[in-house]
Amino acid sequence: MPTLTIDNQPVTVAEGTTIIQAAERLGLVIPHFCYHEALGAAGSCRLCAVRIEKGPLKGIQMACMIPAQDGMVVTTLDPEAVEFRAHVAEWAMTDHPHDCPVCDEGGECQLQEMTIAAGHGTRRFRGLKRTYPNQDLGPFIVQEMNRCIQCYRCVRTYRDYCGGTDYGTFGSRNRVAYGRVTAGRLASPFSGNIIDLCPTGVLTDKTFRFKCRSWDLQEAPSVCPHCSLGCNTLPGARYRELLRVKARVNRAVNGFFICDRGRFGHGYQNHPQRLREPHVDGESVSWNDALAAVHERISQTTEHHGHGTVAFLGSRRATLEANLLLGQWAAATGCTRTVYECHPEFDRIARTVAARLGDQRRSPGDIQRSDFILLIGAEPLAEAPVLALAIRQAKRNGARIVILDPRPPQLPCAFEHLPLTPEQLQLALEQLATKKFKGWTRDESTTLRNLGKDLTAAQNPVIIGAGALLGAAGIERLFDLVDASSPAARPCGVLVPLAGPNSYAAGLLSNGGPDFDDLLDAILNGMVKTLVCLETDPFEDYPQHGRAQSALAQLESLIVLDALPTQTTRHADIVLPTTVPVESDGCYINHEGRLQAFAKVLDPGLSVAVTGGGDHPPRIFEQSAPGNLPRPAWAILAEILKLPTETAALRQQLARTDNRFAALTQIHRAAEGEIVTAIGIPPRPQDDDGAVESSVPGSLQLWPIDTFGGADIFSTYSVHLDPLRDEPYILLADEDAKQRGLTDGAGAVLTSELGHLKVRVRCTATIPAGIAFLPHLLRGATAGFVPGGGALSCTLKSVEGEA
Amino acid sequence: MGLWRDISGTWKPMWITLRYLFRKPVTIEYPEQKRTPPPRYRAQLILTRDPEGKERCVACYLCSAACPVDCISLQAAEDADGRRYAAWFRVNFARCIFCGLCTEACPTLAIQTSIHYEICKRDPLSLVFEKEDLLVDHGGKDKFYNFYQHAGIGVCKPRGGGDGEYGPVDVKDLLP
Ligand code: SF4
Ligand code: SF4
Ligand code: SF4
Ligand code: SF4
Ligand code: FES
Repeated sequence: MPTLTIDNQPVTVAEGTTIIQAAERLGLVIPHFCYHEALGAAGSCRLCAVRIEKGPLKGIQMACMIPAQDGMVVTTLDPEAVEFRAHVAEWAMTDHPHDCPVCDEGGECQLQEMTIAAGHGTRRFRGLKRTYPNQDLGPFIVQEMNRCIQCYRCVRTYRDYCGGTDYGTFGSRNRVAYGRVTAGRLASPFSGNIIDLCPTGVLTDKTFRFKCRSWDLQEAPSVCPHCSLGCNTLPGARYRELLRVKARVNRAVNGFFICDRGRFGHGYQNHPQRLREPHVDGESVSWNDALAAVHERISQTTEHHGHGTVAFLGSRRATLEANLLLGQWAAATGCTRTVYECHPEFDRIARTVAARLGDQRRSPGDIQRSDFILLIGAEPLAEAPVLALAIRQAKRNGARIVILDPRPPQLPCAFEHLPLTPEQLQLALEQLATKKFKGWTRDESTTLRNLGKDLTAAQNPVIIGAGALLGAAGIERLFDLVDASSPAARPCGVLVPLAGPNSYAAGLLSNGGPDFDDLLDAILNGMVKTLVCLETDPFEDYPQHGRAQSALAQLESLIVLDALPTQTTRHADIVLPTTVPVESDGCYINHEGRLQAFAKVLDPGLSVAVTGGGDHPPRIFEQSAPGNLPRPAWAILAEILKLPTETAALRQQLARTDNRFAALTQIHRAAEGEIVTAIGIPPRPQDDDGAVESSVPGSLQLWPIDTFGGADIFSTYSVHLDPLRDEPYILLADEDAKQRGLTDGAGAVLTSELGHLKVRVRCTATIPAGIAFLPHLLRGATAGFVPGGGALSCTLKSVEGEA
Repeated sequence: MGLWRDISGTWKPMWITLRYLFRKPVTIEYPEQKRTPPPRYRAQLILTRDPEGKERCVACYLCSAACPVDCISLQAAEDADGRRYAAWFRVNFARCIFCGLCTEACPTLAIQTSIHYEICKRDPLSLVFEKEDLLVDHGGKDKFYNFYQHAGIGVCKPRGGGDGEYGPVDVKDLLP
């Protein structure tokens, strides 16, 4: 632990800390371009010059390159160092264009800041300025190479940290440039991070291009709603429109990074189809009338049919506050059927996780420090993208990554892969725990046996598995395996990505209550006559659409609170428009039980771009904005329950009524969130093992899966993400394709119990024969294929005449 | 003594008044008579054009950031040539205090003060000027400056074709 002195202040730091990091500990920011906490030092920009007065290396040195040593004396204010830094800033500007007014980085540009800090104002260099060609980097990122200062941050972010391969350094001497070999979309699903990390305006957000200046943005700390990881974000809005999303630092969760789904999937906030007015029986009404109608329908139902005939359905994407209030409302109406998740399999998984995670929970931050990661039936890039980034960092730190999964894995790092069928995964989970291997080929059982041994020998192992292929039974087995691999001295970690941003809360709140299957039975038996749905879409998210439809059609009233149109709002008798996450305060509990608060960024309302039609805003000057009727779901529920509709007071009240969530009162101050340690009630044991029915010969076992493009409602309403979503395709083994006379890229017709679907064929050698995968997309052609409902049996025929 | 002071205090101003009665007056009969203010007078803001006749404003938002009373609002957009311009631009003259800070902030000499001072109206809404009300067809006080000629990012001219530039370089060239 060396102790050194920087600008007359002593500081003790860990071995290996560099001077720039030690200074940061003292709150001194040494000017820098190429150094970044997450990327480390490159020593390429020379801006971080300081003078070392005492120590092994004396004189002007680069603060980011020199490790702190005991007894070192460093000064950042030495005149020679100051002059050195001024020259570096001036030199970075010799070829720099004269275009801050049209540069989107302006206002948050590190180069601007450093140039001004160095006191450089007038260009003294009289030579010509070098210019570069630009490259089209696709729909997300604009490049203006003339602004580059050759700090290498983009390449270090894209290639080293994110594991992308199609971006690099070109040229030599003063022609060094960055880009792709040929123009085109950056393939990495983490490409957007180079926008945040580039200290200049070379790489800027295309979806935000020329929309606004950073100083005009309304910003507030937020949490990404696109998956259960709960990455921390900083959304920015202006003129009633969410314009961009940046990563916000949370070292336990996402570090400095987010994925492209979280960054560019912001179009839902300003979607033209947003629900803006309360509706009763298709007529637009005022809030008072709508709430009166809700009250009337509910009291009518209880009068005519007795207590308990009103049921409530919570949601994986509604805030914790709203879900808690829904429970209180249900209790007040005497309802015994409150369900918090409309997908029974995902419900069971969330309950299992909430009941069994305990101290074995691992965050992506923990994953980076793990030395052995076993993925069973998990595809992080689809289910929790930033997790893939964390696994890559673990790999870079020397971890071993083993994947048991039928799909060709897409992890951005090297791994060992054993393609097992979904049934074999269950067997592997079971037998890795019991250490008795039966029913495998010789090679397979040796591999599995060795895997079991290595799992026991590892210092800090983590097992990752997800529900789409494993199902609830598989997740139970996964936890058994985790328990079996956890000697007291060294617990084995576990991470299970869940279905939505607040699934964990749903699992915790269900308290051993009924699931949605039970509720549908009750509706079909006429025991439930009115259903209240909180930001959930049981018509689309329940795996068997037919069953949900016929049950929900029997309801007398369907009352729905939601922000965007869904099948459920279309069938609803009463629709109450709610805000989307950036338009209200709220909390989510992520996959590991981390309670995180997000703050309101902007008020709801039709954006100025819409009301003005792209031209001057209408010359109407009013107190309220058009389209501002949506209200936070929790505020609507609080009003119904006559509770405070103000965030802090409401959270106090909720924390008092349910002490599992005592952290709610302080949560807005917790920088890294707060772990909810309460233990949930596990789901009731289920006989049905999710086993796939034996299929007709010649048919394929079809597994609907999620993909990176996102299947959650917020992503599907985000047009910016369209380029990430391919037309429906089916992924199958080469030999299966050959048998059917199909080749890669050919058109085919898929026939299953859900009817016919035109798909494109993609084949690969690694998939075990007999199974196929179909990406699910809400509101798209594959909406009916909901992951997590087990496999379907299907046949595939080629379409003549299609290439 | 006091009496003498009172008498002179009465007569002196009367004498001054009498003298000025026979001089050329400095005041004028406004509004029948109008005065031409000096060229640097700070009255209604205008949006000027560059020597090529194109809109000078690049919608950088610096004027709106500089304005102490927040009376400028605008929206940037990009045209087919990659030129950044203001899709709409609004100045609320009911609020403007004619301080001229926006013109000092403007990096393209687009927004300038003009000598046109007769903009008072009874209806405050008619004091809200839109882009078409602000845009003029000349360069204002500077006829020559053309921002994109110096910007160095190849907008409205080939890359490397601006003043004092060379290239674009071949980034795949590894020769020393
Ligand atoms: S990168 Fe920074 S200094 Fe360069 S033009 Fe953009 S804002 Fe200005
Ligand atoms: S593009 Fe940006 S991050 Fe990359 S070297 Fe240039 S300035 Fe640095
Ligand atoms: S003159 Fe002053 S008040 Fe008027 S627009 Fe400019 S800065 Fe704003
Ligand atoms: S400062 Fe000048 S260029 Fe920038 S927005 Fe205002 S008028 Fe346009
Ligand atoms: S930050 Fe040290 S050389 Fe760039």
